[in-house]
Amino acid sequence: MCAFIYLFILAGCVKRVLASFMCVSSRSLWLRADSGSGPHESMAVQNWIDVLKSSQKTALIHDGKRKIHYLFADGKEMAEEYDLKTDELLCRKWRQKSTLGVPGVWQVEVGEPMNLPAALESDVIKENCSNPLFMRKDTKSSFQWRIRNLPYPKDVFSVSLAPSERCIIIKTTNKKYYKKFSVPDLDRSELPLDASALSYAHANNTLIVSYQKPKEIVALEQELLKEVKKLKGTSEADVDCKTQ
Amino acid sequence: MAATKVPEVRDITRIERIGAHSHIRGLGLDDALEPRQVSQGMVGQLASRRAAGVILEMIKDGHIAGRAVLIAGQPGTGKTAIAMGIAQSLGPDTPFTALAGSEIFSLEMSKTEALSQAFRKAIGVTIKEETEIIEGEVVEIQIDRPATGTGAKVGKLTLKTTEMETIYDLGNKMIDSLSKEKVQAGDVITIDKATGKITKLGRSFTRARDYDAMGAQTKFVQCPEGELQKRKEVVHTVSLHEIDVINSRTQGFLALFSGDTGEIKSEVREQINAKVCEWREEGKAEIIPGVLFIDEVHMLDMECFSFLNRALESDLSPVLIMATNRGITRIRGTNYQSPHGIPIDLLDRLLIIATSPYTEKETRQILKIRCEEEDVELSEEAHTVLTRIGMETSLRYAIQLISTAGLVCRKRKGTEVQVEDIKRVYSLFLDEARSSQYMKEYQDSFLFNETQTASMDTS
Repeated sequence: MCAFIYLFILAGCVKRVLASFMCVSSRSLWLRADSGSGPHESMAVQNWIDVLKSSQKTALIHDGKRKIHYLFADGKEMAEEYDLKTDELLCRKWRQKSTLGVPGVWQVEVGEPMNLPAALESDVIKENCSNPLFMRKDTKSSFQWRIRNLPYPKDVFSVSLAPSERCIIIKTTNKKYYKKFSVPDLDRSELPLDASALSYAHANNTLIVSYQKPKEIVALEQELLKEVKKLKGTSEADVDCKTQ
Repeated sequence: MAATKVPEVRDITRIERIGAHSHIRGLGLDDALEPRQVSQGMVGQLASRRAAGVILEMIKDGHIAGRAVLIAGQPGTGKTAIAMGIAQSLGPDTPFTALAGSEIFSLEMSKTEALSQAFRKAIGVTIKEETEIIEGEVVEIQIDRPATGTGAKVGKLTLKTTEMETIYDLGNKMIDSLSKEKVQAGDVITIDKATGKITKLGRSFTRARDYDAMGAQTKFVQCPEGELQKRKEVVHTVSLHEIDVINSRTQGFLALFSGDTGEIKSEVREQINAKVCEWREEGKAEIIPGVLFIDEVHMLDMECFSFLNRALESDLSPVLIMATNRGITRIRGTNYQSPHGIPIDLLDRLLIIATSPYTEKETRQILKIRCEEEDVELSEEAHTVLTRIGMETSLRYAIQLISTAGLVCRKRKGTEVQVEDIKRVYSLFLDEARSSQYMKEYQDSFLFNETQTASMDTS
């Protein structure tokens, strides 16, 4: 009887030690990715490519846009739209079911934020249209964020990096606008943030924040585009979507 | 689902109707589970209340699954009252589902499906979910009412943190709940973006000198920092049935509102059970076994009883409380006789609590409590007469006479119900015994009197 109890305790201890060891090791990996050197970096980029490759994809050419729908193994969905002529990314959005299984709404990562039907939502609270409007619009060489409706002089704004939190912070000295946002592309590939890649400009009531894409991302996007073009996209709208 | 509950503005003028058991506020036990003679609306039935208290502790512990309790006793001896007392003592966090035995018979749903749904409604899952909230100090609140007095109100709310400021447009419901919470400039509030629920955190320190005098409970807080919109983890309780419905079809979430849930596939249920167990092991969710109360359990038939036998063995099963007022009678769906109309094999798995008829003193006490509940003043003699009626006819009949006598008394502009009022209503309304007597005397002049030989089949 006693021996049994001992065995149990022993087994419990071993499990706990193992768990803590695994925890430490994964954290050290993460730190290394943060400090930004070594072979691990390219491994993370490769991981993301693999995830993309293994996802179920449906392509469709419509309205001068190449539309791709990705369904990942964990149930997340991603939808991308590329311009047919310039191959520019016009829109990327994500959707995920909540823990209970309620289908979520599309969260826009890149492109114009979706306008929700106003009549349906009139009972709740929403931002006034005079508020600053935040959206991301990439170019070939850089990530770019545009914030419209900011009628203040340029010297009011300050844009900085917070490497510990992995995000970019926009502040205003007149305390009218503040935004903290991450760069999901860099997070997915576990690439470090670089302050020298960041720049910003202000014109026509719009603040434009740009971040030079690192070479890993540029390479990844070219590879992805090649992959996407290989997909057999139909030009008809009523394509049979396997992933839905 | 808790997350989709819209704040009810109507709360201000809620009218509570007085039901048969609305005077019950608990089981009336002290900390040592000893029943007090009169407490929380309960009178007498000391032994059965003590037994119910033990069951209550077992439910609160939450470790025991699939136990079943039967409350058996004559009509009007407080079976439903005891069950309601258990429900009240459990509080709002433990799911309590009540249904009558005949509710499960429907053309749209099989009996066992209805029972499974009832079982799963009685199991709660607390789960953490992330929601978006707005947290800030109110700078300005502006509400425009249309000049005509009718039509939609328009509102604007300016909120700020130490770093930023945003103007929000308000919908009608939002305006109502803001005025209900008496939100004004200088308050620090949070708004749940999905549900529109407003919570007042306190007043901002910068506004501390606005007024000379403050309420004692005015709380001062710092103006929030950073962004106005934040993601926050909230805990809410849903029942297994709600998770089933959400996942049972693509538009399942909407089905919760329309009420058309239909039958749920057993594969969906199995998937959800596995998922919930997984969440529990990961520490994401907690299972709260609740109570399923089936009143008039003799109305269930043989198939239901054998289903119950099996369902009670599942480890995701609530505590089942049943009540019946039948003696040895036929089991519905068979030709066998059995105590309480329940098969012996199920009876064997039950803990049985018996209730006994009330004594004269207890009847008197219950009638007094009901008078208070129904806001009727009763004179001492009338009370004695009413107790007498309660003892000789039935407690339920006597309770019915309270409100009717109260009305008669009010019509003659009296303040206290007198013996005459009781006599008046006693002559106006027949009790069961007098009605039967009347039937026997005049059965020949009633329609269809030739069917009187067939005995009523109630089992």
